[in-house]
Amino acid sequence: MQPQKLDSVGVNECPTCAAPITGDRFQVGEVVTCGGCSAELEVVGLAPLRFAEAPEVEEDWGE
Amino acid sequence: MKVNLVYTRLRTEERMIADALRARGVTVETHSDAGMVLPLDRERWGDGAPVLMRSMSFTRSRYLASILEVKGSRVLNSAHAIATCGDKALTTLALAAKDVPMPWSFLGFEEQAVVDEVDRRGYPSVTKPVLGSWGRMVARMDSKSAAEGLMSMRFEMGGAQDHVALVQQYIDKPGYDLRVYVMGKAVGGIRRRSEHWITNTARGAMPERYDVPPSHAKLAELAAQAVGGDILAVDLLETRDGQVMVNEINHCVEFARSIEVTQIPLPELMADYVLGVLR
Repeated sequence: MQPQKLDSVGVNECPTCAAPITGDRFQVGEVVTCGGCSAELEVVGLAPLRFAEAPEVEEDWGE
Repeated sequence: MKVNLVYTRLRTEERMIADALRARGVTVETHSDAGMVLPLDRERWGDGAPVLMRSMSFTRSRYLASILEVKGSRVLNSAHAIATCGDKALTTLALAAKDVPMPWSFLGFEEQAVVDEVDRRGYPSVTKPVLGSWGRMVARMDSKSAAEGLMSMRFEMGGAQDHVALVQQYIDKPGYDLRVYVMGKAVGGIRRRSEHWITNTARGAMPERYDVPPSHAKLAELAAQAVGGDILAVDLLETRDGQVMVNEINHCVEFARSIEVTQIPLPELMADYVLGVLR
């Protein structure tokens, strides 16, 4: 089955360059680097494995 | 032995802390704050194990810590420490209550009144949002026109919670500031060097090794006691004539940008501290 794109979320792939990303030990919220384009990605779902571009900052983030 | 680690994103820091805990035989259960929906009651959360709060979001960490404490969990840092450290005005007030040396500062709620007080105190001075981090929206006011412009923006934009002006004395630093890590006692520190007057590593400051002298350690420990935290990073400002003051205190200690340079084993130190709480 072809992976589907949902609102800039990649399913089993990088939402930026579409490089395939597979694995079964991810956690929601984990930040990974795409091996294809080096984009910082955040795991936003596990079944199916979904990735979104990781936001660099939110209003109340930080130490 | 078990610890619940609450996170927003599993960054380098969270991975390293979890690994250090596991290496000490502690079971680490991770919880994404995005998925936490907690009843507001006294029912125990899960198995009641201590919680290491590593949520990046001030809003989420403050509420989650508050809820979990009511449910009987020991949370590090405590809800009180998070609420205090996450708000620069409350941090300053807690330090003032304990006579901790710091730059002068004041809080105001109306544009013209704040500009008048800035003008009365003289230039330069610094204004920063009471809630915020990584050096964002910290601005230096070198003249009355700058103060008028910045305060106009401060009070014209955002909502009621944004219409608070924190103004602080500008400290002419010798090209760096200092950060001391405190876990009950001072355990190490870094120097953050920058040609820019803002010295956050998130803004490009370069971390350097810094052997914390006893006087700095004592000051940082006093500041940590003032806000009542377990695991904290206390930011110190040094003047060109060697005076040292407390600037801010951080409740969710980050170290990914500095650990390689400083070689301070913060994940291990944090894990040891948590282990002490478990025992």
